[in-house]
Amino acid sequence: MTLSPAEYASLSLGDIRTGLDRRHFSARELAEAAFAAIEALEAGRVEAFLSLTPELALRAADEVDAQLAAGSGVADIGLLAGVPLGFKDNMNLLGSYTTCGSRMLENYESTLNATCVSKALAAGALPMGKLNMDEFAFGSSTETSSFKKTHNPWDLERVPGGSSGGSAAAVASGMLTASLGSDTGGSIRQPASFCGVVGFKPSYGVVSRYGVVAFGSSLDQVGPFARSVADVAALTDAICGYDPLDCTSQDVPASFSASVVAGQSDGIKGMRVGVVSEYLEAPGITTEVVLAFKEALRHVQDLGATIVELELPNAYAALSAYYVIGPCEAFSNLSRFDAVRYGFCVEGATNLTEQYELSRAQGFGLETKRRILLGNYLLSSGVYTTYYYPAQQVRTLITQDYRRAFEQADVLLTPTSPRTAFRFGEVSDPTSMHLSDIFTIPINIAGNGGLNLPVGLGEESGLPVGLQIIGPQFKDGNILRVAAALEATYDIERLAPLSGALSGGAA
Amino acid sequence: MHVTPKALREIAATARIGLADDEIESACRDLNLIIDSLEPITRYDLEGVEPTFHPIAGLNNVMREDVEKPGLTQEEALTNAPATQNGQFKIPPILGDNGGDR
Repeated sequence: MTLSPAEYASLSLGDIRTGLDRRHFSARELAEAAFAAIEALEAGRVEAFLSLTPELALRAADEVDAQLAAGSGVADIGLLAGVPLGFKDNMNLLGSYTTCGSRMLENYESTLNATCVSKALAAGALPMGKLNMDEFAFGSSTETSSFKKTHNPWDLERVPGGSSGGSAAAVASGMLTASLGSDTGGSIRQPASFCGVVGFKPSYGVVSRYGVVAFGSSLDQVGPFARSVADVAALTDAICGYDPLDCTSQDVPASFSASVVAGQSDGIKGMRVGVVSEYLEAPGITTEVVLAFKEALRHVQDLGATIVELELPNAYAALSAYYVIGPCEAFSNLSRFDAVRYGFCVEGATNLTEQYELSRAQGFGLETKRRILLGNYLLSSGVYTTYYYPAQQVRTLITQDYRRAFEQADVLLTPTSPRTAFRFGEVSDPTSMHLSDIFTIPINIAGNGGLNLPVGLGEESGLPVGLQIIGPQFKDGNILRVAAALEATYDIERLAPLSGALSGGAA
Repeated sequence: MHVTPKALREIAATARIGLADDEIESACRDLNLIIDSLEPITRYDLEGVEPTFHPIAGLNNVMREDVEKPGLTQEEALTNAPATQNGQFKIPPILGDNGGDR
């Protein structure tokens, strides 16, 4: 029997597992249905992909089918057996280009598999393609990509958020069952919020960064997008763990999926849930976001958890600390693009200096150049002691705030973003754009984990609103437990209405 | 003003980014606006506060056995090079009248 694109679009990881086990469909049929869904929704609509990798996907699917035919159970093959998965285009995947959304790397062929990619493949995932992003992940709307604008599947006139906008939009539209993204200041959680899907940034160090093009090395973390809490937990189980190739990666013995089961079966009665009241007066926060947040708190209380009022006195400085630390680390990381070993190179330069300067001027986009110049300025002698060093000291204070807060609470709840998805070009100046990340950035500064849980549509905009659930460092199980319990109290459609086009209905 | 046009030219030169004259003014304005927004950092009395350069406290140095492992082959390493010659990266002259730094 064949699987229609519309049937495929609604499948969870659990559905795929069951369907393969019972031979309702094959992995090849899954891949083919996924490409049919992409064919229907991608061009001229969502535009989430920078490249597709059908050969890799079909080969992986045939391997899964061969193992099933040889008598393996789905569980033996791996946690992601037959799951159509996409990767943000800063993740190296052999047989694909890795462009980082930049003209600089337009023709860059991956020379290795990132660890998160190889782990996903080893778990049986089908690599479908590479997903659009803000150039080098600098942005909150995916508008700074050198190649295309990705559209929010809930309203094609609006941005999907960013920087992992392609990863979020592909899952929300039903083109992909799941995807991976990276998060330096909110780049998984904010687009997940804008697109109404679950996005999870584990604590810094849970997933190896090896083979993922670096932005801010002390902030970057890889994580999954999917349409349910159980699915992001299974994806995290598949890609986490210590990696000798990333000395900051950590062994995390706990099973993320077990925390989801705990949340579903035992609930969260007696758990302490922290809130920071003054967050609801943050600059630019909209009424509909505040209303949805308060409703979530009522659900939490109905589930028997205790609300604890917390103070994070230094959180207001986190945005500033981030816009010091991030650009400084990016300045250092992006110095590797020399137009000699790889990357865009101008023709006909008469000397090496000219070749460097013109290639970097033409290869990098405006926002990337801005961050490189800012980082260079902040690290220059005389200025270093005014911003860079103090920012690291403020980072200590912010981290201490969270440590203290989590002595009184098992999780902390905030809105994920102060507003729902905005229109293309609506937010153009850099400092206003930065405000869309005020609730997510402090978590990267402290290194904790955070998850976006969709909590319904905004009363005014009709667009997805997200709740951010934050946990103590390396206790990401708390997050997933609360997310799973809370998810069960909502009846929320995670597929955007656009996916209706797959069954022949009007989008 | 934190960054003057003259300072910006110097920053751009050390970052190896060629800026056209007509880009200087807007880049200066953007940078100064962002730097204004960093002001909260400068308001703190941070006497005696240790810096945090990394979010994981108590990381130990990681050692490994010094054993040979396969890496990129020469051919793979050159895959993405804009210009190669005799199996090596090729660059414009760095010596002589046309080469060298300013």
